[in-house]
Amino acid sequence: MVPLRLVTKNLAKHKLRFALTVLSLAIAIFLLCVLRSLVVALNAGVAAAASNRVIVQSKVSLFVYLPQSYGPKLALVDGVESIVRWNWFGGYYQEPSNFFAQFATDGKQLFEVYDELEIVDGSAEDFLRDRKACLLGQDTALKYGKKVGDTFPIIGTIFARLDGEPWDFQIAGIYRSSKATLDSNTLFFHYEFLEKSLEAGATVGPSGVGIFVLKLAPGADPVAVMSEVDAMFENGPQVVQATTEAEFQAQFVSMVGNVPMFVSSIGGGVMLAILLAALNTMLMSAREQTRDVGVLKALGFTDGSVFGILLAQGLVLCGTGGVIGILLAKVSEPGMTRMLSSMFPGYQVTDGTVMEAAGATLAIGLLSGIAPALRARSLSVIDALRAVR
Amino acid sequence: MALVPLSYNLRSLVVRWSATSLTVLGIGATVAVLSGVLALQQGFETLFTESGRDDIVVFLRQGATNEGDSVFTLERAQILMKTLPELETPPGEAPLVSAEIYLAVRRNRIRGGETNVPIRGVQMRSFDIYGDGVRLIEGRRFGLGADEVIVGRKLVDRIQDCQVGRTLWLNTTPFKVVGVFASDGPFQSEIWGDRDRLAEALERPVYNRVVARLKPGIDLVDLAARMESDTQVPSKVMTERQYLSSQTQALSFVLRGLGLFLAVVMGVAAVFTATNTMLAALASRTYEIGILLSLGYRPYAIFLSFLFEAFVLGIAGGAVGCLLALPLNGVDTGAMNFQTFTEVAFAFRVTPEVMVTAVSFAMILGLVGGTWPALRAASLRPTEAMRRT
Repeated sequence: MVPLRLVTKNLAKHKLRFALTVLSLAIAIFLLCVLRSLVVALNAGVAAAASNRVIVQSKVSLFVYLPQSYGPKLALVDGVESIVRWNWFGGYYQEPSNFFAQFATDGKQLFEVYDELEIVDGSAEDFLRDRKACLLGQDTALKYGKKVGDTFPIIGTIFARLDGEPWDFQIAGIYRSSKATLDSNTLFFHYEFLEKSLEAGATVGPSGVGIFVLKLAPGADPVAVMSEVDAMFENGPQVVQATTEAEFQAQFVSMVGNVPMFVSSIGGGVMLAILLAALNTMLMSAREQTRDVGVLKALGFTDGSVFGILLAQGLVLCGTGGVIGILLAKVSEPGMTRMLSSMFPGYQVTDGTVMEAAGATLAIGLLSGIAPALRARSLSVIDALRAVR
Repeated sequence: MALVPLSYNLRSLVVRWSATSLTVLGIGATVAVLSGVLALQQGFETLFTESGRDDIVVFLRQGATNEGDSVFTLERAQILMKTLPELETPPGEAPLVSAEIYLAVRRNRIRGGETNVPIRGVQMRSFDIYGDGVRLIEGRRFGLGADEVIVGRKLVDRIQDCQVGRTLWLNTTPFKVVGVFASDGPFQSEIWGDRDRLAEALERPVYNRVVARLKPGIDLVDLAARMESDTQVPSKVMTERQYLSSQTQALSFVLRGLGLFLAVVMGVAAVFTATNTMLAALASRTYEIGILLSLGYRPYAIFLSFLFEAFVLGIAGGAVGCLLALPLNGVDTGAMNFQTFTEVAFAFRVTPEVMVTAVSFAMILGLVGGTWPALRAASLRPTEAMRRT
């Protein structure tokens, strides 16, 4: 039997030490949660991908434009309900460091294909009506303090205006995305506007389409659509690759590189540091409790319950830290999501992350408690009582 | 002015070897994680900045921030190459100038997953411009007008079909890999081929940048100012070193940010551990402090003595951290250069700068962690201290 009161009393004997250890554990577990959530964020797009969307992109490069003429041909493929063009604009606001995603797209089709896109301010109709209008993600709007009705001047890097001025987009709507397949940072504007500006010689830049996103009709077979599309442009002029949305998202995760490995290495370092800290505290308090162990044993407590008392101290110590750390991660979630929205949209402390953090806490608790517990179990009464402090 | 002998502290650390080593290792793990992140950043940055040459100039289209964004039409590139009086022209030869195409192409890694590899279409003149910046180490150069490419040596072990004798498909054209080249800079992660053949295969009848050598004594600042407002070909002119340095900003920013975040968060945890250790040291040595005080040592001497002990813990932790991080030096890794969205291979570099930062950080951790226990030690009264058991 393990008297729990004894466990808590022993821990409370050194309040400052207990507090410091618990806090460092809390910080470490918090850090593990944050790191894990970054990996989750990275894969969020893959996890949320829609099964009825097919992406048609160049097989050669992300930076190769597909001919405009591919659009009408794709529309004729059996099972395709709607098509939307996406063109990477690559501009920035005032300074190159104020960089975020902008796409030239088909307004009407965008709403048809992406039902996760919700207008939170302004209206879709205003956006569709005005040639120079744009739709802005709420995170970006918040970051730069932009509202519906404002002009948002964007300097083009790929499509630089020949008059040297920025592109003045009129904000007609603010949107947010309810799924990780779209972020809430992007600026969407009309493909026709870009096209007309190129034709009128107001800007230079490549003509063509970055990607086509196909929405499939209910019941259509994505595999059949994809192989038909691939075969259609097999001989050029630009070879394409049709993929599911999940594969498309996974492709970007892979391109960003070995982030999970990098994050795990850091996580490993954090775990090691914190294990050592917990072990240090546990060994210190166990050493100070040597005589208490002797007294307990003399009173008739078994080796097993003495072992339990010390192990439980480790577990309670680490458990407290772990719970605080997990709570910190949960409480900071909205703030972190906002802060990281441009680099890691979809940052989220999932239940899986919480479970993993709890597992790590338990492991640290057991590992740090077991050495002093074993020592206490094997101590003889005489040796323990004789111990010099 | 009597200070407590330093050997007293060193011996105390040795006597409490388990607490000392756990604390040192804990600080060490923290420092090692920080050093790892900094070594990654250093490796990336040195690859770009140290390999760039001051005698090579790069022309980008006005408004472009990297060669992926920059586009020169054939006519504009010709104007640049034919009309600039500043270009170095060896007697009896054409000027040392070359227009290049650049495209990040999608390639599969040998270990699985997809990545973006830069492909550079060059002219034979490019080899004269770069000189020994590009050295063939296997096979031969691609033939003029041939469907052949050479690959940077960092690609050979990482990317599929980048080995001599293999065939690399670009759009609808097969290119044969005929050689491997080495370079000290990011070129070593690139595929090079004949510019005109690549332009045709990729259906890209444009150039991305123009590189040249300038005549001795030409003032680059003047040239840059003139080209910026040039009516025919407005362009951005900089040395290769300046260009490459500008390419590291995004990733360096991310890595430095991550390093700082980890340093602060893990640092706080490490400080708590150090405080705990020092408090335990204080608790077990209260009696000794009483003796020291009654021998005539002043409280400030006790304070300095304990602070010194914490400082030693910090330095030792810093040294251990550096030792842990040192094996990373020279280890090859890859990271995404966010500016061109391509993967660059480079090696971790544990530079003296990294080690100095790491050890200073550890010393600060020790000092901050030791201050409170040292103050407590210094505020003890001799009678009180000696009475405690």
